[in-house]
Amino acid sequence: MGNEAEKPNIITSSLDFLVNWGRSNSLWPFPYGTACCAIEFMSTEVGRYDLSRIGSEYVRFTPRQSDVLLVAGTITYKQAPILKRIYEQMAEPRWVIAMGACASSGGFYDSYCTVPGIDHIIPVDVYIGGCPPRPEAFFDAMFDLQKKVKDESFMKQRAESVKEQLEMIKVKTAEAKRDVAACAHEKIVDIKDFMKEKQENLVKKAQFWKE
Amino acid sequence: MTVEEIFAILDEKFGAKRETLDKWGVTAVISASYLHNAVQFLKEGSDIKFEMLVDIAGIDYLTYPNHEGPRFAVSYAFKSVSKPGNRIRLKVLVSEEDLNVPTISDLYANANWYEREVFDQFGVIFEGHPDLRRLLNHVEFVGHPLRKDYPAQKRQWLSTNDYLLPQLEKRLEELGYKVVQRSKEVETNDNEFLEGSIKA
Amino acid sequence: MIVLDPNGEKLNLMPLNVGPSHPATHGCLRFLTAMDGETIVASVEEIGYLHRGFEKMVERGTWQQVIPYTDRLNYCSAIMNNIAFCRAVENMFGVEIPERSKVLRVIVNELSRINDHFVCVAAAFQDLGGTTPFMYAFNPREEIMCIWEKLTGARLTNSFARIGGLYRDSYAGFEQDVLDALNSTEKALKDLHACLDRNRIFLDRTVGIGKISAEKAISYGWTGPCLRASGVASDLRKDEPYYDYETYDWEVVVGTQGDCNDRLQVRLAEIEESVKIVRQALKRLAPGPVDIVDPRIRVPSHKLAYQDMEGLIGRFKSVYEGIRVPEGEYYCGSECANGELGFTIISDGSGHPYRIKVRPPCLTQFAAFHELVEGGLLADSMAVLSGLNIIAGELDR
Repeated sequence: MGNEAEKPNIITSSLDFLVNWGRSNSLWPFPYGTACCAIEFMSTEVGRYDLSRIGSEYVRFTPRQSDVLLVAGTITYKQAPILKRIYEQMAEPRWVIAMGACASSGGFYDSYCTVPGIDHIIPVDVYIGGCPPRPEAFFDAMFDLQKKVKDESFMKQRAESVKEQLEMIKVKTAEAKRDVAACAHEKIVDIKDFMKEKQENLVKKAQFWKE
Repeated sequence: MTVEEIFAILDEKFGAKRETLDKWGVTAVISASYLHNAVQFLKEGSDIKFEMLVDIAGIDYLTYPNHEGPRFAVSYAFKSVSKPGNRIRLKVLVSEEDLNVPTISDLYANANWYEREVFDQFGVIFEGHPDLRRLLNHVEFVGHPLRKDYPAQKRQWLSTNDYLLPQLEKRLEELGYKVVQRSKEVETNDNEFLEGSIKA
Repeated sequence: MIVLDPNGEKLNLMPLNVGPSHPATHGCLRFLTAMDGETIVASVEEIGYLHRGFEKMVERGTWQQVIPYTDRLNYCSAIMNNIAFCRAVENMFGVEIPERSKVLRVIVNELSRINDHFVCVAAAFQDLGGTTPFMYAFNPREEIMCIWEKLTGARLTNSFARIGGLYRDSYAGFEQDVLDALNSTEKALKDLHACLDRNRIFLDRTVGIGKISAEKAISYGWTGPCLRASGVASDLRKDEPYYDYETYDWEVVVGTQGDCNDRLQVRLAEIEESVKIVRQALKRLAPGPVDIVDPRIRVPSHKLAYQDMEGLIGRFKSVYEGIRVPEGEYYCGSECANGELGFTIISDGSGHPYRIKVRPPCLTQFAAFHELVEGGLLADSMAVLSGLNIIAGELDR
């Protein structure tokens, strides 16, 4: 095809419309559910808040057969390599929804073992807040994702649109690896220094209250 | 027989002292060398048989106000199933220089995982434990997170998950099988393994 | 890999990883098995995929700030964990909560237990392949979650209990809502029994699978429905009663075989007993205060804080410094949906917890997993796993 055909025109945009209509109305989720958000997702699937009415007829627990990787629950550093692998095993086009506070930002677990948000590991399309988010919030996110899907064009590869996010992930991973290398070489902190610091803090606190 | 009487026997036979900090139940402080015999006595020898080990908790007294004595302690909670309502706690004080405590995993089957957890979070070493490795934190973790001098926000990246195949072979050997030859896929090249599965 | 079995014959075993990302393992459990055809010869488990550092996080805040963390332990029945923790701290203080609070706590406890058992049986059946009971079981859950929403403000992780009482009193229409939910529960139970009791596939897949004897179960420290399925009538609500459980008319459900089928049927029968308890408790609900009137334990209400000097000071100190739990070490276990949820609490007398160790009921159950699974087929391991009701939030904390 010549250069003219690569610019958006009536043929490609109609084809886009058709393809996107098909994709957005049949988003099959892969519930990567680890914690409480998975239970709320289960409630969204069944009975009252029925997920199949927007096209997600049945959840496929395999990355090869699904479109949307729905990360519901806290991701720890132990779980992170597996999440990355599952994401890499999914076929294009694929989208990621970070469900809940823990998946979006680590939640209120600001600790030594939780990943502060899965966007340190995989590129995310939609974030859902809540702990756990209500089924209505989940539907809101699915509608947002459908809008996002309808805006895409099959002329541009999806990989380009997530390039920015992947760059950021690379930087964050390198930083985390450097931290680990540094901590492995660190000497064990002298207990006396630690206790002295604690004492000083307590003294400061007591003085503050006195004033 | 009541739990108080059992405590009196523990005092007499194994030199247990009453823990004053526990004002609501019976806690006996025992030294590590008498631990195994005391637990065996509780399980089989006494009038109330404490058949179930309920919990093993590790404690770090580093920032406890006015604490004298060893830095760590391991607390064992027992309960009786045949005579319900009877509970007793044992406590072993562990100093930082000598982190060894005898294991009771030959008496109670769940002590295996409980002791692994105390090792993981505090670094207390249980002598005689069949398989002392980390339980909750990942395999490349450095340090013992629940100690008071480990900062809560210090995160540690994991490049690739625990292989587990050596542990499987150990389990096979426990069951009486002998591993003769490993499968070819097991021998991966080290570079790929060390790089990990997170290829950023 | 090639091994020699105890008789000296050569066997070719295949290591198969049933990894954390698997529908039956709820995303958080991993076991590596050595397979001889379809039979599992040996298996090794790994946990810790949801270790979020509960015990480190609670040391940062005050005693009241622990309650949302306890919610997320066994998230299917969140209020039970809150009540277990608050009960432990109230025992340390040595106070008794008011009568209405006790009855409300019992109602809320049993409704949470019904919730949890429904999730377990529904997920178990789905892991075995059937999706219909999943749909049936989630209907009464929806009604109960609507009650939670009206009562506590949240559907799933509602931090309802407070140290010294409850978050707030029940709303007008609470009793009628609970009765409707109970009717819905009984209907769903009937449907579930119709699906499961004489279902050839279910019976073939669960009867005689994953048997464990009572002695082994006790040695592994099992508690709760899994222990009761092995024939041991051990229930903390009857053995060391609290909140007047011994005055209600209900029975402990005990199984006979200790296999997978028994564990699931014990849970269904326990739902019936819980329904009985809730009906009796609703009759006992009498008007009265819901919180202890003691500013050192339960923070004074807004009304008191804005009108009275002592109330204001009490509220400030309670929120800023935390309530001062008496110094000491204490272990307290309560009967939660999975078994005995225990807290070993070490307090240094200040407003911040020094150490809180959680004794999760499902850790002991999963520790025995390799015993239940070795010698059986791979498909049986799925049935066993789902019958144990492993909730990773509790297992890994």
